Amino acid sequence: MSEGMLCSKSHEYILEQNGEHIIGLTDYAVEQLGDIVFVELPEVGATFKKGETFATVESVKAASEIYMPISGTIKEINEDIISSPELLNEDPLGKAWLVKVDTDADEAEYKDLMEYDDYKEEVE
Amino acid sequence: MTKQTILHDRHVKLGARMVDFAGWDMPVQYVSIIDEHKTVRENAGLFDVSHMGEIVIEGDDALPFLNKIVPQNISILKDKKAVYCQLTNKDGGIIDDLIIYNIEHNKYLIVVNASRADEDINWMALNKPGFDIRIINQSHNYSLLALQGPKAKDIMKKMGIEELPPFFSIKRDEIFNINVWISRTGYTGEDGVEILLLNEFAGYMWDKILEYGKEFGIKPIGLGARDTLRLEASMPLYGNDLDLDTTPVEAGLSWSIPKDKTEDYNGKAVIEEQLKNGVTKRLIGLKMTDRGIARHGYDVYYNNEKIGTVTSGGIAPTRGDNIALAYIKNLPEIKVGSNIHIMIREKLHNAEVVKRPFIHKHNH
Repeated sequence: MSEGMLCSKSHEYILEQNGEHIIGLTDYAVEQLGDIVFVELPEVGATFKKGETFATVESVKAASEIYMPISGTIKEINEDIISSPELLNEDPLGKAWLVKVDTDADEAEYKDLMEYDDYKEEVE
Repeated sequence: MTKQTILHDRHVKLGARMVDFAGWDMPVQYVSIIDEHKTVRENAGLFDVSHMGEIVIEGDDALPFLNKIVPQNISILKDKKAVYCQLTNKDGGIIDDLIIYNIEHNKYLIVVNASRADEDINWMALNKPGFDIRIINQSHNYSLLALQGPKAKDIMKKMGIEELPPFFSIKRDEIFNINVWISRTGYTGEDGVEILLLNEFAGYMWDKILEYGKEFGIKPIGLGARDTLRLEASMPLYGNDLDLDTTPVEAGLSWSIPKDKTEDYNGKAVIEEQLKNGVTKRLIGLKMTDRGIARHGYDVYYNNEKIGTVTSGGIAPTRGDNIALAYIKNLPEIKVGSNIHIMIREKLHNAEVVKRPFIHKHNH
């Protein structure tokens, strides 16, 4: 599942799969947040630069801003996690992705992203 | 340095996530705040609240002293009864909120917030001149376990306590041959007890309660669920909903201020004036009607004008919606059912003023 996944220091991942760019929150981030009770996602068509806030995820205790790991335009949002935020606790790397984007980010934007295994080693 | 309760190692072994709370390294959750919340509402939960302060006031003048430092009328507090009070300053501002127990003639136990214990002791010492009393800080000698939930009674029974003290009462008893004070109080809105005992027995008691409570579905509960439980029960949290700039009248606690108390107490002039002529700000309960969670510090709007601030807010797991406590300007047109707005991430979200408590309480 984590094959080909790239992760940011702020705990977002990007996964290129079948020509799509899928962005989500890492399992480590979700575990740290605890029970997730609210997700706010951007509108389809909105454009964000790398590092900009594009979503908000709230646990029982607090609201957390989620940052774009690379620049892109929102192509699809995951409606399932809006109605069932707890899915994020269950399957953050799979079913509970956040958004799919169109991106023409250049190589420089990928420089600070880590392979999933390296990321896990760094955070744990 | 962060302080630890006697049970600290047990929390870590149980896999709790530990956080700093008022200078104490405390469990915020063991597994899941929502699951822990539901466990307390449906079965029973065990909390380590040993960080809370225990202060004993004893001596010939214990009663007049207490009558001077809180608005409540302590003269009518019978033997082994407990009462919810606020410690007020000369301006009526709340220094702390606390429970006073009449444990024997001329001897009272006060349970206070961990974050305010030092401040409380200082304030009491400042008020001591002229009173023949001793102020004894017992916080470091005692541990406090809260067993809360509809099954608490059954668990106590299984441990040999056939009868609990009446609500808001305390009794001396023995559990497993250990001397304890059992108090029918709590901070969850559920029936239950708080067990006060010497530190050296706290670990044994904690283990035994979890063991005896197993068949009743007991779980250890962290401070995260303690917060969601008390919010649903609309119990204020010092530092969020109560502070030095807020009086008990503004905080909606007038029910804890007898109108006929003859003794003078700190802040009496301000409090009586407010009871008579009204207040400029007041506490309300609200529920979100738009998607969104109101949180501590968010602004409250009415007709596009800022009228107040959320002091506690979050999800209400038992109700299944999002609720909050807020202070607003005392506008007469805002009542239960009124539509107001909460500013969340620079957008106004609809909310409705609702009755408090948010849930039906089972502890009175």
